[in-house]
Amino acid sequence: MVNVSWLQTIKGVVTVRIRGDQQEMLVNEATGTGIRLWSIRRTSNGELECELSVGDFFRLRPFLKRTSCRMHVVARRGLPFWLNRLERRKFFAAGLFLFMAGMYLLSSLVWNIEVKGNMKLTEEQVLLAARQEGIYPFQWSFRLDDADVLSKNLVRKLPGAAWVGVQQHGTKIIIEVVENTVPEPLPLYSPRHLIASVDAVVTEVKAEAGRPVVSKNKKVKRGDILISGTIGAGENTQTVVAKGQVKGLVWHEYAISSPLAQKTKVYTGSSKTRWHLLIGDRTLQISGYGKPSFEKYESVKIQEQLSWRGWSLPLGRVKERLMEMREDTRTRSEEEAIALGLLQAKADIVSKEGADAKIVDQNILHQKTENGKVYMKVFFEVEQSIIEEMPLVQMQGE
Amino acid sequence: MRRISRKIRKLTAEILDLPQDVVFDLPRMTMIGDRQLYIENHRGVLHFTSDKLRLALSKGELEVTGNGLAIRAIWTEEVFIEGQIIQIQILN
Repeated sequence: MVNVSWLQTIKGVVTVRIRGDQQEMLVNEATGTGIRLWSIRRTSNGELECELSVGDFFRLRPFLKRTSCRMHVVARRGLPFWLNRLERRKFFAAGLFLFMAGMYLLSSLVWNIEVKGNMKLTEEQVLLAARQEGIYPFQWSFRLDDADVLSKNLVRKLPGAAWVGVQQHGTKIIIEVVENTVPEPLPLYSPRHLIASVDAVVTEVKAEAGRPVVSKNKKVKRGDILISGTIGAGENTQTVVAKGQVKGLVWHEYAISSPLAQKTKVYTGSSKTRWHLLIGDRTLQISGYGKPSFEKYESVKIQEQLSWRGWSLPLGRVKERLMEMREDTRTRSEEEAIALGLLQAKADIVSKEGADAKIVDQNILHQKTENGKVYMKVFFEVEQSIIEEMPLVQMQGE
Repeated sequence: MRRISRKIRKLTAEILDLPQDVVFDLPRMTMIGDRQLYIENHRGVLHFTSDKLRLALSKGELEVTGNGLAIRAIWTEEVFIEGQIIQIQILN
């Protein structure tokens, strides 16, 4: 048998047997007029068997008469014959058609909807908006609008969504939501006064909101209002959130004691190494047993863990270095001790009162050296922020 | 007159190195082992059985002898034969 192309299968192929004396003449004449015959073979009883398409079969008939041959059909193949047979099996054909139709209809339904990328919006919110736009399970997918129209409408429906993408993958619809990033809301303040936190002499007043009550060079006591939160007079009184900056001179008294001798640690240079094997979170000493030859030492441990492609294995080694240490005592002069004490006191002020605190003046009131220490009393004049917040209580009803 | 034209054709074929089948209408046969035979420039089937096939040529006849011969495909000037081919003979 010859491979028959699919085109011929659609047209339909018949196998015929030709009887007669002038079979060769028939073949010659048929091929001369363009009738295609193939797989021509001689059967044992002298008949010529060949294959041809259905169209050529009918065109061959006049030649049969002319060459006084007779022809009968042995086999039929191809779509026309298949359809013919199908006609007889009506229920099978109907079933086939129904299956195809059912398959098509079911595959043109929307079966499930997936929501992606929503953080603050709930899935229900998105699905509700989608339902209003016609996206819901068991909806015909050909009834849906275009994806760009849907995403535009969904963005309008969903507050807080910067962009919504609608994608259809077969029977599944994926709604991708990109939400707006909203800045944190500013903290709310209730109306307030700004009052003095310490006794001071005002050096600077900057009011952003509210009514400044004090002015420069005025002496204030702790609790005095610096910037008032009530503005206006009479009926037009209003309360606001007083804002601003008030600086003042504040006196700090420090009692400082500074030692004349200082102990320092010094490494002598000699060391001893110990190796440990690390298994899990336990270590096993391997080498460097015995006490080191020196008395005072510090140990430094370096842990190395085996890892492979970012996975750390529970196996490793620990190197422990014991370094000999010596304690030296350094003696300071009195001036050095005083300078150091003052420096520590100033650092304390800055850390307490903020970086913008400025030391204007310092005054050592009293100083004595006793028991290897310098004791002194120091008076610092510091320019610093003196504000404190005081909320205004609303007077309701009179 | 015909003799002159044939001479001219032969001369041009020799000068231009053209294949003989193009110029003289001779059959061109392509044979794949003993199982397939492709003949161009035939002039029709004269006789066909499973062991013998005679084809008309522009001049003379071609006889193919074999076992289980079948014409796989046939066109006006070409024929494609399958089967076990034993002998090809040209009869003038």
